[in-house]
Amino acid sequence: MSLLTSLVPSFTRSAAPVAPRESAPTVKPVYDLSETDEGYALSVYLPGVAKDGLELSAESGAITITGRRAWKQPEAWTALYRESADAAYELVLTHDNAVDIDKIKAELRDGVLRVALPKAEALKPRKIAVG
Amino acid sequence: MRIVRYNYLSYRGAVSSRSPWSGLEGEIDRLFESALGDFAGASPAGRFPVDLYEDKDNTYVRADLPGIERADIGVELVDGTLNIRATRKTRQGEREESFALNRSVSVPDAAVQTEKISAAYENGVLTVTLPKREETKPRKVTVAVN
Repeated sequence: MSLLTSLVPSFTRSAAPVAPRESAPTVKPVYDLSETDEGYALSVYLPGVAKDGLELSAESGAITITGRRAWKQPEAWTALYRESADAAYELVLTHDNAVDIDKIKAELRDGVLRVALPKAEALKPRKIAVG
Repeated sequence: MRIVRYNYLSYRGAVSSRSPWSGLEGEIDRLFESALGDFAGASPAGRFPVDLYEDKDNTYVRADLPGIERADIGVELVDGTLNIRATRKTRQGEREESFALNRSVSVPDAAVQTEKISAAYENGVLTVTLPKREETKPRKVTVAVN
């Protein structure tokens, strides 16, 4: 029996379920990513998100964009037919240090977030002169 | 029958460090996200999500239309059908691309005060307000019993 428990570690864990970390469901937004020699241009479609509901963070080789809709359905309204979701938007893009984080510029307008991600210096294409 | 795009909700962070399978589940989630995400790109297909609400005075239509200039949005009521038309112009360097988006919602003419319809565009969401006609508002009639 002890051989079995050592082989399958989950058997030794207590039967009581561990309380899951509270995290609301998220939806992945539609986005466009294009590349030029200088950097990347990212457009993320976040309808209903205003500046206060938007979080953009860049760390450990990944860019995370989280957007929460600014509009709450008024009490008196009844929903007859819903196609959009109330869930927050979340987009994670890993870049493995190809982007210069200090020079990232972002603009949110009419529900579209446009981010300019300049390439890290080492990765820009460079001509090498042959002596 | 109506076909509606399925919003794949992901519950990231709730399953990590709980079971030995969470790594595999995460990989399979990512596989589905990449497969389903490319399949039905919302913008090129020309369809956008629409929500319908009502309260006692109005019917509301909300449409997710991010990134459109107000001048490029057209809302018109023709023959009992509300048409929402929008043109999304994107600039990619020197190229300009334009996508046409449109949806129609049928609106019974008799129930709406067509002259008072209004629309507002905020944060990429268009809200069209259709005031209900007085006669069709629910009214309580108390009947005396002899």
